[in-house]
Amino acid sequence: METTFATELKDGIARITLVGKLDATHAPALQEALKGLIGQPVDKIVFFARDLDYIASAGLRVIIFAKQQIGAGAQVYLVGAQAPVLDVVKMSGLDTFMTVQDAFDA
Amino acid sequence: MSESSFPATLDRLDEMIAFILDFAERQGLNPGAAYKVRLAAEEVLVNIVKHAYPDGPGTIGIACAPAEGAAGIAIEIKDTGLPFNPLEKSDPDTALPMEERPIGGLGIFLVKKVMDDIGYVRDGDTNILRLVKHAS
Repeated sequence: METTFATELKDGIARITLVGKLDATHAPALQEALKGLIGQPVDKIVFFARDLDYIASAGLRVIIFAKQQIGAGAQVYLVGAQAPVLDVVKMSGLDTFMTVQDAFDA
Repeated sequence: MSESSFPATLDRLDEMIAFILDFAERQGLNPGAAYKVRLAAEEVLVNIVKHAYPDGPGTIGIACAPAEGAAGIAIEIKDTGLPFNPLEKSDPDTALPMEERPIGGLGIFLVKKVMDDIGYVRDGDTNILRLVKHAS
């Protein structure tokens, strides 16, 4: 699947749709896209990951970046992640600090 | 046995990973094990690309062989850059909340988590990292 990242901010909810591979090659593009959210009023950072096939540490770092730079007070959600992706998130311990769920209703 | 060398640049990363995954598939690794091989390969290769050759271009050598003992893959990754033993790096604190996390250190930690065996030697001017993943 071709890798694309889409971001949208509405009513304090930043929705980030991840498709394809969040690896070292593609992570910088996502980080750039997320920079547009810095300084905006964000209560929730929601990563939609149903069509994310793969994540490496470069991708985990972007999630950490999002939390640190966009909103220390914002709640981070990981929605619909496939098992192999979720495994990597769990190995890093990041799942403890985000809400992992199958679906997201604002 | 399958061996090749590549320029140590990020735009060749996909090619290097495909080289390794092709061999892994032929050794009968299931998709879950192959995912872990991809992850470990990426982390190791990106580290070399980013840190091994601060003064200019460099090369990465990759050799794949069947694992000894049980079915699987043994990957040898070589570079002639700065000496670096990833096994000496201390693991990050995975209990730290995100706002307190340092940005680095996760990659090597993941490699240790997903591989069945890792060995490192510095041979002359060459870093040699050996990764083993069993098929099941």
